[in-house]
Amino acid sequence: MTQRGSGLSERALARVFVAPSLLLMALVALFPVLYAVGLSLFEYSRRRRESFAGLSNYTEALGDDRFWSALWFTLVFTVTSVAAEFVIGLGFALLMNQAFRGRGLTRAAILIPWVIPTVIAAQMWFFMFNVTPGFINSVFGLGDFSWLGQPGWATFAIVFADVWKTAPFVALLLLAGLQTIPSELTESALVDGAGRWQRLWYVTLPLLRPAILVALLFRTVDALRVYDLVAVMTGGAFDTESLSVLVQQYVVRTPDPGYGSALSTLTFILILGIGLVFVRLLGRDLAIGRGETR
Amino acid sequence: MTRRRTWLKAALLLVILAWCLFPFLWLVMTSLKLGDRALNSPDLFQGPFGLDNYRNVFEQDFQLNLRNSLAIAAMTTIICVVVGSLAAYALARLPLKRRLLLLTGVLAVSLFPPVALVPPLYEVWRSIGLLNKWEGLYLPYTAFELPLTIFILTTFYAAIPKELEEAARVDGATPFQAFYKVVFPLAAPGVFAAAIIVFVAAWNEFLLASTFAPRNPEIAQTVPVAIAAFTGQVEFQRPIGTITAACVVVVIPMVVVALAFQRRIVAGLTAGSVKG
Amino acid sequence: MRMPTRLLVAGGTFALIMAACTPSGDDGDGGGDGASGGGGELVWAIGGAEAQPGGVHQQVAELWSEQNPDNPIRIELLPEAADQQREQQALELQSEGSTFDVLGMDVIWTGEYAENGWLESLEDVRGEIEEVSIPGAFESATWGGELWAAPYNTNAGLLYYRTDLVDTPPTTWDQLCQTAASAGASAGVGGLIGQGAQYEGFVVNWLEYYWSAGGELFNDDQSEVLFDTEIAARATQFMADAIADGCYAPGYNTAQEEEARNEFQQGGTVFMRNWPYVYSLIEEDTASPANGNFAIAPLPTFEGEGTISALGGFNNAVSAFSDNADAARDFVVWAATNEEVQTMLATESSVPPTMASVYDDLADDPVMSVLGQILPDAKPRPPAPSWNEISVELQRALFPAVNGQADVEEAVEQVRTVLEDAIG
Repeated sequence: MTQRGSGLSERALARVFVAPSLLLMALVALFPVLYAVGLSLFEYSRRRRESFAGLSNYTEALGDDRFWSALWFTLVFTVTSVAAEFVIGLGFALLMNQAFRGRGLTRAAILIPWVIPTVIAAQMWFFMFNVTPGFINSVFGLGDFSWLGQPGWATFAIVFADVWKTAPFVALLLLAGLQTIPSELTESALVDGAGRWQRLWYVTLPLLRPAILVALLFRTVDALRVYDLVAVMTGGAFDTESLSVLVQQYVVRTPDPGYGSALSTLTFILILGIGLVFVRLLGRDLAIGRGETR
Repeated sequence: MTRRRTWLKAALLLVILAWCLFPFLWLVMTSLKLGDRALNSPDLFQGPFGLDNYRNVFEQDFQLNLRNSLAIAAMTTIICVVVGSLAAYALARLPLKRRLLLLTGVLAVSLFPPVALVPPLYEVWRSIGLLNKWEGLYLPYTAFELPLTIFILTTFYAAIPKELEEAARVDGATPFQAFYKVVFPLAAPGVFAAAIIVFVAAWNEFLLASTFAPRNPEIAQTVPVAIAAFTGQVEFQRPIGTITAACVVVVIPMVVVALAFQRRIVAGLTAGSVKG
Repeated sequence: MRMPTRLLVAGGTFALIMAACTPSGDDGDGGGDGASGGGGELVWAIGGAEAQPGGVHQQVAELWSEQNPDNPIRIELLPEAADQQREQQALELQSEGSTFDVLGMDVIWTGEYAENGWLESLEDVRGEIEEVSIPGAFESATWGGELWAAPYNTNAGLLYYRTDLVDTPPTTWDQLCQTAASAGASAGVGGLIGQGAQYEGFVVNWLEYYWSAGGELFNDDQSEVLFDTEIAARATQFMADAIADGCYAPGYNTAQEEEARNEFQQGGTVFMRNWPYVYSLIEEDTASPANGNFAIAPLPTFEGEGTISALGGFNNAVSAFSDNADAARDFVVWAATNEEVQTMLATESSVPPTMASVYDDLADDPVMSVLGQILPDAKPRPPAPSWNEISVELQRALFPAVNGQADVEEAVEQVRTVLEDAIG
């Protein structure tokens, strides 16, 4: 394993390259995470620490219906919104990747939802869906249909707003992925007589796999922490309370640092578990891309 | 056949534009409305109209908020892309032990519910004097956005044919030169995608910004925090007009920035295919 | 293709320049840290519309500063939402910071702040404050028999009604629903709109029904639960029926203050429960169907006698970590007891004052005169340290019951458990 004389060895270079990122993340993020996990082991009465509690905050959380219903809503929200965002985002990306008249306008239009701050987008969709003033009802002539005032439709409205807001994120990542696919590959498939859908399914999507996985990974972990949309649009009413809304309540509104941290840690474990699945899938792609495993 | 396809495409385009732009139209129309009730009417075209809301926005030093947000988002983006590129290259290309574990660790950093991290971070920031400072915001933003940056860039670096790099090495380039002269430019679409995403995330972040720099536009208060601080003329009144006006003011430059970056994503293609 | 590299270098340089010059601002924050004892600027942490430049809180601050040049006061503007105001104060006080001297507190925070040791007791000036303040507002500033804050401004729920659709305002809730049905049907509009979304305002609205049926939550010093499940069930059932049979307008269960106002202001309902702020806004809106066709009245009760209303508003307290506590104390007492200040609240803006005598001089003002009748009987939510917990649990129990998704009896039993746990 001799290296060229000039510069560092590859192994050393790897460490040098990784170090600043790890250092930055460790400095800023590691301490508060460990601190929060530490807090979760203590019993609090409101803001005052009472005693060491072991895992009792965790057993309490796991025994609370409220945790399970928040978990259920969070999972439903995540699966439906990420699925819809993927389909729509892929459509957007394929469209943005083509040359046609009005492409500039379309590209700008597609990006707009995503650059609007989430808190404001949430407020806006509340206005759209709510009975007062009722933009959607007046556009579609639905009278006083109460989207946000009943179970089911309230969830739908939140998912809808999220899809609207973040489909462009998926589109952007996938567009970048599409750009790195050498055009010869799709062209040769064209020569082989592959149809539009066949090309998409057998050529484009497999090559896009890493980008898709990254997009899905980050959309999923973000969706699992949904907060603003729920807080503004329903406040958690009608079975729309998400895990983050629950966490926020115990950290901010009715502070109980021990219980709040335990809820946070549970949420964290859940998200990390789901994230790991993606990392494994991605790891396989990265190994293939590198042409060697070691 | 082709004719029908063109029609179909036009129709599809129209649907997409409506889907994306109708809410934006609402935003623009509302920001132009005057008078309390007009603002809340479901009829978008019910006047009276005027620019008073925009005037109100800038009377509240909103340009200073724009400056703060721009600086903080720019710093976050630059550090993320530079530092993240290096790490991603190492993860994708260089011999590194326990790669998956490292990736998992990197990912884990960004997954803890942020609201639970605020109280301990606030204490630390307070004691080392980072409250109400740009640094107090872009440092944590960088830390929390680095995982995404690293993941995006790693996949893009990994997708670049290794032969190109080897060719450069044969020509006498050091590993570092091989990285920044060959791999980095080829991964441009990924780099720019990561850059836009990080920029937008830092620009729109609310939770940390509202805790670490809640007041004083002269110092570090960012745009979303300033918008949340708008009030009506009297208690309870919701200042929809000023909020939407501020939002339009914010969205337009953002779209311009995002479009400029996106151009680079597409430009990467032509450059890449010439090289490849 | 070396462009990105060059761009990065340029960007890096730009970044370094930017980072090097984080603006220092005008010594805005932490400025109070250095000051200790005696003279020095006071900082008043308060939020909302009236704390903005030109608002009445600013005018009050200016008046004080003119009269007390040694201890001028400056407003540190908190965000609009009450939850965020509390969070910002809490972060500062939790770390025992001395940035804030005077805390503008929502009436429901008193117990929590006092128990956390964040407030200076005002027991030694109790007499002069109690003498002039409206009893409900004064009560909201006490916890555990001790005075922790000085009342500053108050608020109470009013019944707004359409004079072109209703001759005399109803005095019982049943009457209200009957009138809502008949007048609403003939005019093609909804009945009552209020604050029915799942948030603090829902609890306020529910309490007004519960109290007006004769219920109580706790005894005076909050050592004993006086919750009556029968009365609570009656109040809750009334609300559930009102939603089911359309006495409440569509959208009631997602409405906060502004949604209610919009609905009423655009002519969508006959009645509205809301705070006094709506009055002047409708009066200014000449295109509103309600403009010129509405009036306000005290809220109905179940028996038709008297009225009851839940209090809102803000009290001023002295931070336990203030370096200038004596001056801060002088300020909060002054703001609570000075007739000029209290009158200013009502005349310069329409913020209801807490000083009882001020209302006598404001009899010409339609809102203030109704408030003058209501406020003596208005009740504060218990300012207990656990009020936030209680409120969240009340919302979780009662909101589904009111919306027909949970059993009313079970819901009120749940509430009783919550209240008992809260003091147990």
